[in-house]
Amino acid sequence: MLSDLAGLTSNEDELVEMAVCGYVSQPSLRPGAYTHYPDGRGVILPGMFGITYNARAGDRAFGWAGDHVEPGVSIAHPDEKCDFALHYLTCMGNEAMVTSGLAKGARGVVTGEHARILVDFPDEVYEKLNIGDQIQIMAKGRGIALAEFPKIEFKKTSPALLHALRLSRAGNGALKVPVAMELPIEIMGSGAELNSEYVDQDLMSGDRQLMADLGVDQMRLGDLIAIRHADHHFGRSYREGAVSIALCIHGDSIMTGHGPGILTLITCAEGGIEFEIDKSANIANYFSIGAGA
Amino acid sequence: MSITFNQADLVSVSIGGVIAHPGFPGLPAEPYRLSAEGKPFLLPTFGGIVYNVSVGDRAFGWAADCIHPGVSIRGTDDTKNRGLNVFACVGNVAVVMTGQAQGTKGVVTGKSGRFSEQVIVHFPKEARRKMAVGDQIVIRSLGTGMEIAGHEAIACKGLSPDLLTALPSKVEDGVLKIGVVATVPAHLVGAGAGLTSEGGSLHMQSTDRQALKEAGLDQLRLGDVVAIENTDSRYNHGYLRGAMSIGVVGQSDGPRAGYGPGITVVMTAPKGELGCYQAPGTNIADLLKLEA
Repeated sequence: MLSDLAGLTSNEDELVEMAVCGYVSQPSLRPGAYTHYPDGRGVILPGMFGITYNARAGDRAFGWAGDHVEPGVSIAHPDEKCDFALHYLTCMGNEAMVTSGLAKGARGVVTGEHARILVDFPDEVYEKLNIGDQIQIMAKGRGIALAEFPKIEFKKTSPALLHALRLSRAGNGALKVPVAMELPIEIMGSGAELNSEYVDQDLMSGDRQLMADLGVDQMRLGDLIAIRHADHHFGRSYREGAVSIALCIHGDSIMTGHGPGILTLITCAEGGIEFEIDKSANIANYFSIGAGA
Repeated sequence: MSITFNQADLVSVSIGGVIAHPGFPGLPAEPYRLSAEGKPFLLPTFGGIVYNVSVGDRAFGWAADCIHPGVSIRGTDDTKNRGLNVFACVGNVAVVMTGQAQGTKGVVTGKSGRFSEQVIVHFPKEARRKMAVGDQIVIRSLGTGMEIAGHEAIACKGLSPDLLTALPSKVEDGVLKIGVVATVPAHLVGAGAGLTSEGGSLHMQSTDRQALKEAGLDQLRLGDVVAIENTDSRYNHGYLRGAMSIGVVGQSDGPRAGYGPGITVVMTAPKGELGCYQAPGTNIADLLKLEA
Protein backbone atom coordinates (compact mmCIF):
# COMPACT_ATOMS: atom_id res chain seq x y z
CA MET A 1 0.00 0.00 0.00
CA LEU A 2 2.83 2.39 0.84
CA SER A 3 4.45 4.00 -2.12
CA ASP A 4 7.39 6.30 -2.55
CA LEU A 5 6.76 9.92 -1.49
CA ALA A 6 8.45 11.22 -4.66
CA GLY A 7 11.47 12.36 -2.73
CA LEU A 8 9.42 14.36 -0.20
CA THR A 9 10.25 14.19 3.49
CA SER A 10 7.48 13.54 6.01
CA ASN A 11 7.68 13.58 9.81
CA GLU A 12 6.11 10.13 10.20
CA ASP A 13 8.82 9.03 12.63
CA GLU A 14 7.60 11.68 15.08
CA LEU A 15 3.91 10.79 14.98
CA VAL A 16 2.23 9.15 17.95
CA GLU A 17 -0.19 6.30 17.36
CA MET A 18 -2.91 5.82 19.96
CA ALA A 19 -6.22 4.02 20.36
CA VAL A 20 -9.64 5.67 20.29
CA CYS A 21 -12.93 3.85 20.00
CA GLY A 22 -16.56 4.15 19.09
CA TYR A 23 -19.61 1.93 18.89
CA VAL A 24 -21.72 0.97 15.88
CA SER A 25 -24.54 3.54 15.89
CA GLN A 26 -28.29 3.18 15.50
CA PRO A 27 -30.36 5.47 13.26
CA SER A 28 -32.56 7.78 15.29
CA LEU A 29 -35.46 9.94 14.13
CA ARG A 30 -37.52 12.65 15.78
CA PRO A 31 -41.31 12.31 15.64
CA GLY A 32 -42.76 14.28 12.74
CA ALA A 33 -39.40 15.44 11.45
CA TYR A 34 -39.13 15.53 7.67
CA THR A 35 -36.23 16.36 5.42
CA HIS A 36 -37.29 18.96 2.87
CA TYR A 37 -36.64 19.38 -0.83
CA PRO A 38 -35.88 22.95 -1.98
CA ASP A 39 -39.57 23.37 -2.85
CA GLY A 40 -40.58 22.40 0.67
CA ARG A 41 -41.77 18.84 -0.04
CA GLY A 42 -41.02 16.73 3.01
CA VAL A 43 -39.66 13.17 2.90
CA ILE A 44 -38.02 10.65 5.23
CA LEU A 45 -34.89 9.01 3.85
CA PRO A 46 -32.23 6.68 5.27
CA GLY A 47 -28.51 7.21 5.01
CA MET A 48 -27.01 8.41 8.26
CA PHE A 49 -25.99 6.27 11.26
CA GLY A 50 -25.75 2.49 11.52
CA ILE A 51 -24.31 0.02 9.06
CA THR A 52 -24.92 0.91 5.41
CA TYR A 53 -24.74 -2.48 3.75
CA ASN A 54 -24.94 -1.43 0.11
CA ALA A 55 -23.12 1.89 -0.17
CA ARG A 56 -19.38 1.82 0.19
CA ALA A 57 -16.34 3.93 -0.62
CA GLY A 58 -15.97 4.03 -4.40
CA ASP A 59 -19.71 3.89 -5.04
CA ARG A 60 -21.59 6.85 -6.51
CA ALA A 61 -22.22 9.89 -4.28
CA PHE A 62 -25.36 10.96 -6.18
CA GLY A 63 -28.60 9.22 -7.04
CA TRP A 64 -29.30 7.24 -3.88
CA ALA A 65 -32.84 7.25 -2.46
CA GLY A 66 -31.14 8.39 0.69
CA ASP A 67 -29.83 11.53 2.34
CA HIS A 68 -26.24 12.15 3.47
CA VAL A 69 -25.55 8.44 2.88
CA GLU A 70 -22.67 7.38 5.12
CA PRO A 71 -20.85 4.48 3.43
CA GLY A 72 -19.89 1.48 5.55
CA VAL A 73 -20.14 1.55 9.33
CA SER A 74 -20.89 4.73 11.31
CA ILE A 75 -19.49 4.74 14.84
CA ALA A 76 -19.74 7.18 17.74
CA HIS A 77 -18.89 7.35 21.41
CA PRO A 78 -21.72 8.09 23.89
CA ASP A 79 -19.56 10.30 26.12
CA GLU A 80 -19.22 13.72 24.50
CA LYS A 81 -15.60 14.27 25.52
CA CYS A 82 -14.55 10.81 24.32
CA ASP A 83 -16.50 11.36 21.11
CA PHE A 84 -14.60 14.56 20.38
CA ALA A 85 -11.30 12.73 20.99
CA LEU A 86 -12.49 10.13 18.49
CA HIS A 87 -13.23 12.94 16.02
CA TYR A 88 -10.07 15.00 16.53
CA LEU A 89 -7.54 12.15 16.58
CA THR A 90 -8.89 9.82 13.89
CA CYS A 91 -7.32 10.23 10.44
CA MET A 92 -8.49 9.05 7.05
CA GLY A 93 -6.84 5.76 6.17
CA ASN A 94 -6.28 4.74 9.79
CA GLU A 95 -6.78 1.07 10.54
CA ALA A 96 -9.79 -0.01 12.62
CA MET A 97 -10.39 -3.22 14.56
CA VAL A 98 -13.62 -4.70 15.87
CA THR A 99 -13.06 -5.43 19.58
CA SER A 100 -16.39 -6.99 20.61
CA GLY A 101 -19.17 -9.18 19.19
CA LEU A 102 -19.24 -11.75 16.42
CA ALA A 103 -16.87 -9.80 14.17
CA LYS A 104 -14.25 -9.39 16.89
CA GLY A 105 -10.80 -9.09 15.37
CA ALA A 106 -11.99 -7.93 11.94
CA ARG A 107 -9.95 -5.11 10.40
CA GLY A 108 -11.22 -2.08 8.51
CA VAL A 109 -10.15 1.33 7.19
CA VAL A 110 -11.41 4.81 8.19
CA THR A 111 -12.98 6.46 5.12
CA GLY A 112 -14.71 9.50 6.57
CA GLU A 113 -15.62 11.77 9.44
CA HIS A 114 -19.19 13.03 9.51
CA ALA A 115 -21.13 13.51 12.76
CA ARG A 116 -19.91 9.94 13.21
CA ILE A 117 -16.64 8.26 12.14
CA LEU A 118 -17.09 6.13 9.00
CA VAL A 119 -15.23 2.80 8.64
CA ASP A 120 -15.11 0.38 5.70
CA PHE A 121 -14.81 -3.36 6.34
CA PRO A 122 -14.47 -6.34 3.97
CA ASP A 123 -17.84 -7.72 2.75
CA GLU A 124 -18.01 -10.72 5.07
CA VAL A 125 -17.71 -8.55 8.20
CA TYR A 126 -20.98 -6.67 7.72
CA GLU A 127 -23.33 -9.57 8.43
CA LYS A 128 -21.59 -10.21 11.75
CA LEU A 129 -21.64 -6.63 13.03
CA ASN A 130 -24.20 -5.68 15.64
CA ILE A 131 -25.41 -2.25 16.70
CA GLY A 132 -23.28 -1.32 19.71
CA ASP A 133 -20.23 -3.41 18.76
CA GLN A 134 -17.05 -1.69 19.82
CA ILE A 135 -14.64 -0.58 17.12
CA GLN A 136 -11.18 0.68 17.97
CA ILE A 137 -9.12 2.91 15.72
CA MET A 138 -5.35 2.99 15.81
CA ALA A 139 -5.22 6.77 15.33
CA LYS A 140 -2.13 8.21 13.69
CA GLY A 141 -1.57 11.24 11.51
CA ARG A 142 -2.47 14.27 13.60
CA GLY A 143 0.45 16.69 13.10
CA ILE A 144 1.66 15.10 9.89
CA ALA A 145 3.69 17.45 7.66
CA LEU A 146 6.11 17.60 4.76
CA ALA A 147 9.47 19.29 5.43
CA GLU A 148 9.53 20.75 1.91
CA PHE A 149 6.14 22.48 2.32
CA PRO A 150 5.91 24.27 5.70
CA LYS A 151 2.96 26.41 4.55
CA ILE A 152 0.87 23.44 3.51
CA GLU A 153 -1.22 21.98 6.31
CA PHE A 154 -2.47 18.40 6.36
CA LYS A 155 -5.61 17.53 8.32
CA LYS A 156 -6.85 14.06 9.23
CA THR A 157 -4.32 12.53 6.84
CA SER A 158 -2.87 9.19 7.97
CA PRO A 159 0.63 8.17 6.90
CA ALA A 160 -1.02 5.48 4.77
CA LEU A 161 -3.11 8.07 2.96
CA LEU A 162 -0.16 10.45 2.58
CA HIS A 163 1.71 7.70 0.75
CA ALA A 164 -1.33 6.73 -1.31
CA LEU A 165 -2.18 10.22 -2.60
CA ARG A 166 0.43 10.06 -5.39
CA LEU A 167 1.93 13.41 -4.34
CA SER A 168 4.61 14.94 -6.51
CA ARG A 169 6.38 18.23 -7.10
CA ALA A 170 5.12 20.41 -9.91
CA GLY A 171 7.56 22.21 -12.18
CA ASN A 172 6.99 25.49 -10.32
CA GLY A 173 7.83 23.87 -6.98
CA ALA A 174 4.24 23.46 -5.83
CA LEU A 175 2.87 20.24 -4.34
CA LYS A 176 0.90 18.37 -7.00
CA VAL A 177 -2.04 16.07 -6.23
CA PRO A 178 -4.25 14.05 -8.59
CA VAL A 179 -7.95 14.69 -7.88
CA ALA A 180 -11.14 13.28 -9.41
CA MET A 181 -12.69 16.71 -9.88
CA GLU A 182 -12.63 20.41 -9.04
CA LEU A 183 -15.50 22.21 -7.31
CA PRO A 184 -16.26 25.95 -7.71
CA ILE A 185 -16.04 27.83 -4.39
CA GLU A 186 -19.52 29.37 -4.68
CA ILE A 187 -21.21 25.99 -4.18
CA MET A 188 -19.48 25.24 -0.87
CA GLY A 189 -22.21 25.28 1.77
CA SER A 190 -23.23 23.75 5.09
CA GLY A 191 -20.23 23.47 7.38
CA ALA A 192 -19.08 27.05 6.83
CA GLU A 193 -20.20 27.63 10.42
CA LEU A 194 -17.87 24.94 11.79
CA ASN A 195 -14.20 24.85 12.67
CA SER A 196 -12.38 22.89 9.97
CA GLU A 197 -11.00 20.46 12.57
CA TYR A 198 -14.49 18.98 12.87
CA VAL A 199 -16.28 16.99 10.15
CA ASP A 200 -16.89 18.14 6.57
CA GLN A 201 -18.45 20.88 4.46
CA ASP A 202 -21.25 19.95 2.08
CA LEU A 203 -21.16 21.09 -1.50
CA MET A 204 -24.51 22.67 -2.40
CA SER A 205 -26.07 20.43 -5.03
CA GLY A 206 -29.41 22.28 -5.28
CA ASP A 207 -28.62 23.74 -8.71
CA ARG A 208 -29.11 20.36 -10.41
CA GLN A 209 -28.43 21.68 -13.91
CA LEU A 210 -25.09 23.06 -12.74
CA MET A 211 -24.21 19.69 -11.17
CA ALA A 212 -24.83 18.03 -14.53
CA ASP A 213 -23.06 20.74 -16.56
CA LEU A 214 -19.91 20.52 -14.42
CA GLY A 215 -20.07 16.74 -14.02
CA VAL A 216 -20.20 17.10 -10.27
CA ASP A 217 -23.06 14.55 -10.30
CA GLN A 218 -20.50 11.93 -11.33
CA MET A 219 -18.74 12.23 -7.98
CA ARG A 220 -18.00 9.02 -6.11
CA LEU A 221 -17.72 8.39 -2.40
CA GLY A 222 -14.00 8.48 -1.63
CA ASP A 223 -13.11 10.86 -4.48
CA LEU A 224 -10.27 13.33 -3.97
CA ILE A 225 -11.54 16.87 -4.66
CA ALA A 226 -9.89 20.26 -5.25
CA ILE A 227 -11.35 23.69 -4.42
CA ARG A 228 -9.71 26.96 -5.41
CA HIS A 229 -9.96 30.08 -3.19
CA ALA A 230 -10.80 27.89 -0.17
CA ASP A 231 -8.61 28.38 2.90
CA HIS A 232 -9.41 25.59 5.35
CA HIS A 233 -6.74 26.23 7.97
CA PHE A 234 -8.91 27.54 10.80
CA GLY A 235 -12.45 27.25 9.54
CA ARG A 236 -13.55 27.61 5.93
CA SER A 237 -12.75 31.01 4.45
CA TYR A 238 -12.98 32.46 0.98
CA ARG A 239 -9.42 33.58 0.26
CA GLU A 240 -8.35 34.34 -3.28
CA GLY A 241 -5.46 32.14 -4.40
CA ALA A 242 -5.84 29.54 -1.65
CA VAL A 243 -6.30 25.87 -2.58
CA SER A 244 -7.75 23.03 -0.54
CA ILE A 245 -7.76 19.31 -1.31
CA ALA A 246 -10.57 17.28 0.23
CA LEU A 247 -12.24 13.89 0.33
CA CYS A 248 -15.86 13.02 -0.53
CA ILE A 249 -17.05 11.25 2.62
CA HIS A 250 -20.85 11.03 2.34
CA GLY A 251 -23.54 11.03 -0.30
CA ASP A 252 -25.76 13.74 -1.76
CA SER A 253 -28.62 15.44 0.05
CA ILE A 254 -31.96 16.82 -1.07
CA MET A 255 -31.74 19.63 1.47
CA THR A 256 -31.04 23.18 0.34
CA GLY A 257 -27.43 24.13 1.07
CA HIS A 258 -26.41 20.49 1.43
CA GLY A 259 -24.95 17.81 -0.83
CA PRO A 260 -22.05 15.36 -0.74
CA GLY A 261 -19.70 15.94 2.20
CA ILE A 262 -16.22 17.26 1.46
CA LEU A 263 -13.62 16.70 4.19
CA THR A 264 -10.44 18.79 4.26
CA LEU A 265 -7.17 16.89 3.85
CA ILE A 266 -4.67 19.49 2.60
CA THR A 267 -4.88 23.28 2.58
CA CYS A 268 -2.64 26.17 1.63
CA ALA A 269 -3.63 29.82 1.94
CA GLU A 270 -1.21 31.10 -0.71
CA GLY A 271 -1.33 28.72 -3.64
CA GLY A 272 1.42 26.17 -3.21
CA ILE A 273 -0.89 23.31 -4.24
CA GLU A 274 -1.54 22.24 -7.81
CA PHE A 275 -3.81 19.47 -8.97
CA GLU A 276 -4.53 17.43 -12.07
CA ILE A 277 -7.81 15.72 -12.89
CA ASP A 278 -7.60 11.93 -12.71
CA LYS A 279 -10.90 10.07 -12.32
CA SER A 280 -9.17 7.22 -10.51
CA ALA A 281 -8.19 9.48 -7.60
CA ASN A 282 -10.40 7.73 -5.05
CA ILE A 283 -9.47 6.12 -1.74
CA ALA A 284 -11.36 2.93 -2.64
CA ASN A 285 -8.74 2.44 -5.37
CA TYR A 286 -5.90 3.58 -3.15
CA PHE A 287 -6.75 1.16 -0.32
CA SER A 288 -8.41 -1.58 -2.45
CA ILE A 289 -11.60 -1.33 -0.36
CA GLY A 290 -15.32 -1.04 -1.08
CA ALA A 291 -15.97 -0.71 -4.80
CA GLY A 292 -12.21 -0.75 -5.36
CA ALA A 293 -11.67 -4.12 -3.63
CA MET B 1 -45.43 52.18 -4.80
CA SER B 2 -47.81 50.36 -2.54
CA ILE B 3 -47.46 46.68 -1.82
CA THR B 4 -50.58 44.71 -0.97
CA PHE B 5 -50.48 41.58 1.12
CA ASN B 6 -52.78 39.43 3.25
CA GLN B 7 -52.65 41.85 6.17
CA ALA B 8 -56.15 41.04 7.46
CA ASP B 9 -55.34 37.34 7.73
CA LEU B 10 -52.10 37.58 9.70
CA VAL B 11 -52.21 36.43 13.31
CA SER B 12 -50.38 38.34 16.01
CA VAL B 13 -49.09 36.14 18.84
CA SER B 14 -47.05 36.91 21.95
CA ILE B 15 -43.56 35.40 22.07
CA GLY B 16 -41.48 35.81 25.19
CA GLY B 17 -37.83 35.71 26.03
CA VAL B 18 -35.43 36.93 28.65
CA ILE B 19 -32.34 39.07 28.24
CA ALA B 20 -29.56 36.56 27.55
CA HIS B 21 -26.26 36.32 29.38
CA PRO B 22 -23.07 35.92 27.33
CA GLY B 23 -21.64 32.39 27.55
CA PHE B 24 -18.17 30.88 27.40
CA PRO B 25 -17.04 27.23 27.58
CA GLY B 26 -15.99 25.72 30.92
CA LEU B 27 -12.79 24.04 32.09
CA PRO B 28 -10.14 23.54 30.91
CA ALA B 29 -9.90 27.32 30.86
CA GLU B 30 -9.61 27.86 27.11
CA PRO B 31 -11.97 30.75 26.46
CA TYR B 32 -10.44 31.53 23.09
CA ARG B 33 -11.99 31.35 19.70
CA LEU B 34 -9.81 31.05 16.63
CA SER B 35 -9.49 33.73 13.97
CA ALA B 36 -9.30 32.79 10.29
CA GLU B 37 -5.56 33.45 10.60
CA GLY B 38 -5.27 30.87 13.38
CA LYS B 39 -4.82 33.44 16.14
CA PRO B 40 -6.66 32.78 19.40
CA PHE B 41 -8.82 35.72 20.51
CA LEU B 42 -11.02 36.61 23.45
CA LEU B 43 -13.54 39.32 22.64
CA PRO B 44 -17.10 40.34 23.56
CA THR B 45 -19.59 38.27 21.60
CA PHE B 46 -23.33 37.62 21.28
CA GLY B 47 -25.73 37.87 24.20
CA GLY B 48 -26.49 40.42 26.88
CA ILE B 49 -27.15 44.12 26.78
CA VAL B 50 -24.80 46.01 24.46
CA TYR B 51 -24.73 49.63 25.58
CA ASN B 52 -22.71 51.33 22.87
CA VAL B 53 -23.49 49.53 19.61
CA SER B 54 -26.79 50.21 17.85
CA VAL B 55 -28.46 49.60 14.54
CA GLY B 56 -27.17 52.29 12.19
CA ASP B 57 -23.59 51.99 13.51
CA ARG B 58 -20.80 50.44 11.42
CA ALA B 59 -20.79 46.66 10.98
CA PHE B 60 -16.98 46.41 10.76
CA GLY B 61 -14.11 47.43 13.01
CA TRP B 62 -15.53 46.66 16.44
CA ALA B 63 -13.27 44.74 18.85
CA ALA B 64 -15.91 42.04 19.00
CA ASP B 65 -17.02 38.74 17.47
CA CYS B 66 -20.41 39.06 15.78
CA ILE B 67 -21.74 41.46 18.40
CA HIS B 68 -25.49 42.00 18.53
CA PRO B 69 -26.51 45.67 18.68
CA GLY B 70 -28.89 46.53 21.53
CA VAL B 71 -30.39 43.70 23.53
CA SER B 72 -30.34 39.94 22.86
CA ILE B 73 -33.04 37.67 24.18
CA ARG B 74 -33.62 33.90 24.39
CA GLY B 75 -36.53 31.62 25.17
CA THR B 76 -36.38 29.71 28.43
CA ASP B 77 -35.78 26.30 26.82
CA ASP B 78 -34.77 25.06 23.37
CA THR B 79 -38.25 24.58 21.94
CA LYS B 80 -39.57 27.87 23.33
CA ASN B 81 -36.46 29.55 21.99
CA ARG B 82 -37.17 28.09 18.54
CA GLY B 83 -40.68 29.48 18.73
CA LEU B 84 -39.30 32.88 19.63
CA ASN B 85 -36.62 32.79 16.92
CA VAL B 86 -38.96 31.63 14.14
CA PHE B 87 -41.96 33.86 14.83
CA ALA B 88 -40.06 37.07 15.64
CA CYS B 89 -40.17 39.34 12.59
CA VAL B 90 -37.85 42.23 11.86
CA GLY B 91 -39.85 45.34 12.71
CA ASN B 92 -42.09 43.72 15.37
CA VAL B 93 -42.71 45.65 18.58
CA ALA B 94 -41.14 44.33 21.79
CA VAL B 95 -42.17 45.38 25.30
CA VAL B 96 -40.16 45.06 28.51
CA MET B 97 -42.41 43.27 31.03
CA THR B 98 -40.26 43.18 34.18
CA GLY B 99 -37.50 45.17 35.88
CA GLN B 100 -36.56 48.82 35.98
CA ALA B 101 -37.28 49.39 32.28
CA GLN B 102 -40.75 47.84 32.49
CA GLY B 103 -43.06 49.19 29.80
CA THR B 104 -40.29 50.34 27.47
CA LYS B 105 -40.96 49.56 23.83
CA GLY B 106 -38.37 48.27 21.38
CA VAL B 107 -38.17 46.86 17.86
CA VAL B 108 -36.88 43.50 16.58
CA THR B 109 -33.89 44.15 14.30
CA GLY B 110 -32.40 40.72 13.67
CA LYS B 111 -31.82 37.13 14.69
CA SER B 112 -28.79 34.92 15.15
CA GLY B 113 -28.40 31.27 14.17
CA ARG B 114 -26.58 28.08 15.09
CA PHE B 115 -24.57 28.25 18.36
CA SER B 116 -26.31 31.43 19.58
CA GLU B 117 -29.98 31.47 18.47
CA GLN B 118 -30.97 34.81 19.90
CA VAL B 119 -33.40 37.51 18.84
CA ILE B 120 -31.86 40.97 18.60
CA VAL B 121 -34.01 43.88 19.82
CA HIS B 122 -33.34 47.59 19.58
CA PHE B 123 -34.12 49.70 22.65
CA PRO B 124 -33.18 53.34 23.18
CA LYS B 125 -29.75 53.67 24.84
CA GLU B 126 -31.25 55.29 27.96
CA ALA B 127 -33.54 52.32 28.50
CA ARG B 128 -30.69 49.81 28.08
CA ARG B 129 -29.03 51.34 31.17
CA LYS B 130 -32.06 50.37 33.26
CA MET B 131 -32.29 46.79 32.06
CA ALA B 132 -30.95 43.67 33.71
CA VAL B 133 -30.02 40.24 32.39
CA GLY B 134 -33.07 38.05 32.92
CA ASP B 135 -35.64 40.80 32.39
CA GLN B 136 -38.63 39.45 30.50
CA ILE B 137 -39.49 40.83 27.10
CA VAL B 138 -42.60 40.05 25.08
CA ILE B 139 -42.66 40.52 21.31
CA ARG B 140 -46.02 41.00 19.60
CA SER B 141 -45.11 38.81 16.65
CA LEU B 142 -46.76 39.55 13.32
CA GLY B 143 -45.66 38.60 9.81
CA THR B 144 -45.34 34.80 9.62
CA GLY B 145 -47.61 33.62 6.80
CA MET B 146 -47.37 36.85 4.85
CA GLU B 147 -47.96 36.64 1.09
CA ILE B 148 -47.47 39.54 -1.30
CA ALA B 149 -50.28 39.92 -3.82
CA GLY B 150 -49.10 39.23 -7.36
CA HIS B 151 -45.72 37.99 -6.09
CA GLU B 152 -46.65 34.66 -4.54
CA ALA B 153 -43.32 33.07 -5.53
CA ILE B 154 -41.58 35.32 -3.00
CA ALA B 155 -41.30 33.70 0.42
CA CYS B 156 -41.31 36.12 3.33
CA LYS B 157 -39.26 35.04 6.37
CA GLY B 158 -39.32 36.90 9.66
CA LEU B 159 -40.57 39.99 7.84
CA SER B 160 -43.04 42.29 9.59
CA PRO B 161 -45.71 44.23 7.70
CA ASP B 162 -44.12 47.43 9.04
CA LEU B 163 -40.79 46.65 7.40
CA LEU B 164 -42.32 45.33 4.17
CA THR B 165 -44.27 48.54 3.63
CA ALA B 166 -41.27 50.70 4.55
CA LEU B 167 -38.76 48.99 2.24
CA PRO B 168 -37.96 50.90 -0.95
CA SER B 169 -39.35 48.84 -3.81
CA LYS B 170 -40.56 48.89 -7.38
CA VAL B 171 -42.02 46.45 -9.86
CA GLU B 172 -40.35 46.02 -13.23
CA ASP B 173 -41.55 43.41 -15.76
CA GLY B 174 -43.55 41.76 -13.00
CA VAL B 175 -40.51 41.40 -10.76
CA LEU B 176 -40.61 42.96 -7.31
CA LYS B 177 -37.31 44.74 -6.74
CA ILE B 178 -36.07 45.94 -3.36
CA GLY B 179 -33.71 48.88 -2.87
CA VAL B 180 -30.46 47.66 -1.28
CA VAL B 181 -27.13 49.08 -0.16
CA ALA B 182 -25.08 46.27 -1.71
CA THR B 183 -25.21 42.72 -3.07
CA VAL B 184 -23.31 39.82 -1.53
CA PRO B 185 -21.81 37.64 -4.33
CA ALA B 186 -22.34 33.90 -3.90
CA HIS B 187 -18.67 33.18 -3.23
CA LEU B 188 -18.81 35.43 -0.17
CA VAL B 189 -21.69 33.56 1.47
CA GLY B 190 -20.42 31.96 4.67
CA ALA B 191 -21.80 30.47 7.87
CA GLY B 192 -25.50 29.67 7.65
CA ALA B 193 -25.42 27.94 4.26
CA GLY B 194 -27.37 24.70 4.59
CA LEU B 195 -28.86 25.78 7.93
CA THR B 196 -32.47 26.70 8.57
CA SER B 197 -33.84 29.86 7.00
CA GLU B 198 -36.73 29.91 9.49
CA GLY B 199 -34.95 32.15 11.94
CA GLY B 200 -31.22 32.55 12.38
CA SER B 201 -28.86 34.40 10.08
CA LEU B 202 -26.66 33.96 7.03
CA HIS B 203 -23.16 35.42 7.39
CA MET B 204 -20.98 36.85 4.67
CA GLN B 205 -17.32 35.83 4.37
CA SER B 206 -14.93 38.59 5.47
CA THR B 207 -11.48 36.93 5.64
CA ASP B 208 -10.48 38.24 2.20
CA ARG B 209 -10.74 42.00 2.79
CA GLN B 210 -9.91 42.83 -0.81
CA ALA B 211 -12.75 40.65 -2.10
CA LEU B 212 -15.07 42.31 0.42
CA LYS B 213 -14.04 45.76 -0.80
CA GLU B 214 -14.44 44.80 -4.45
CA ALA B 215 -18.02 43.70 -3.71
CA GLY B 216 -18.73 47.05 -2.03
CA LEU B 217 -19.46 45.40 1.30
CA ASP B 218 -16.67 46.82 3.49
CA GLN B 219 -18.59 49.93 4.55
CA LEU B 220 -21.82 48.22 5.57
CA ARG B 221 -23.70 49.42 8.62
CA LEU B 222 -25.78 47.41 11.04
CA GLY B 223 -29.36 47.57 9.77
CA ASP B 224 -28.40 47.98 6.10
CA VAL B 225 -30.67 46.21 3.63
CA VAL B 226 -28.66 43.93 1.31
CA ALA B 227 -29.25 41.36 -1.43
CA ILE B 228 -27.58 37.95 -1.67
CA GLU B 229 -27.14 36.67 -5.23
CA ASN B 230 -27.80 33.09 -6.37
CA THR B 231 -29.12 32.13 -2.96
CA ASP B 232 -32.39 30.27 -2.36
CA SER B 233 -33.52 30.69 1.24
CA ARG B 234 -37.00 29.12 1.06
CA TYR B 235 -36.07 26.00 3.02
CA ASN B 236 -32.50 26.46 4.34
CA HIS B 237 -30.02 28.75 2.62
CA GLY B 238 -28.34 27.32 -0.49
CA TYR B 239 -26.77 28.06 -3.86
CA LEU B 240 -29.10 28.28 -6.86
CA ARG B 241 -28.40 30.33 -9.97
CA GLY B 242 -31.12 32.95 -10.48
CA ALA B 243 -32.35 32.84 -6.91
CA MET B 244 -32.10 35.90 -4.68
CA SER B 245 -32.47 36.66 -1.02
CA ILE B 246 -32.94 40.04 0.64
CA GLY B 247 -31.91 40.60 4.23
CA VAL B 248 -30.93 43.03 6.95
CA VAL B 249 -27.44 43.22 8.47
CA GLY B 250 -28.21 42.06 12.00
CA GLN B 251 -24.86 41.63 13.75
CA SER B 252 -21.28 42.81 13.34
CA ASP B 253 -18.25 41.28 11.68
CA GLY B 254 -16.04 38.87 13.61
CA PRO B 255 -12.58 37.33 13.27
CA ARG B 256 -13.70 33.70 12.76
CA ALA B 257 -13.61 32.05 9.32
CA GLY B 258 -17.04 32.25 7.70
CA TYR B 259 -18.30 34.79 10.22
CA GLY B 260 -18.46 38.21 8.67
CA PRO B 261 -21.55 40.32 9.40
CA GLY B 262 -24.72 38.26 9.78
CA ILE B 263 -27.77 38.86 7.62
CA THR B 264 -31.30 38.19 8.79
CA VAL B 265 -32.93 37.06 5.54
CA VAL B 266 -36.47 38.42 5.16
CA MET B 267 -37.39 37.65 1.53
CA THR B 268 -36.36 35.03 -1.03
CA ALA B 269 -37.41 33.62 -4.40
CA PRO B 270 -35.84 30.85 -6.49
CA LYS B 271 -36.13 31.88 -10.15
CA GLY B 272 -35.67 35.59 -10.60
CA GLU B 273 -39.08 36.51 -9.14
CA LEU B 274 -37.30 38.78 -6.64
CA GLY B 275 -34.83 41.47 -7.65
CA CYS B 276 -32.94 44.43 -6.27
CA TYR B 277 -31.64 47.83 -7.24
CA GLN B 278 -29.04 50.16 -5.79
CA ALA B 279 -30.49 52.36 -3.05
CA PRO B 280 -27.54 53.67 -1.01
CA GLY B 281 -28.25 54.32 2.65
CA THR B 282 -31.24 51.98 2.94
CA ASN B 283 -31.15 51.11 6.65
CA ILE B 284 -33.83 49.93 9.04
CA ALA B 285 -32.79 52.55 11.62
CA ASP B 286 -34.47 55.06 9.27
CA LEU B 287 -37.12 52.78 7.78
CA LEU B 288 -38.43 51.75 11.20
CA LYS B 289 -37.69 55.14 12.81
CA LEU B 290 -35.63 53.61 15.61
CA GLU B 291 -35.20 55.91 18.60
CA ALA B 292 -31.52 56.46 19.43
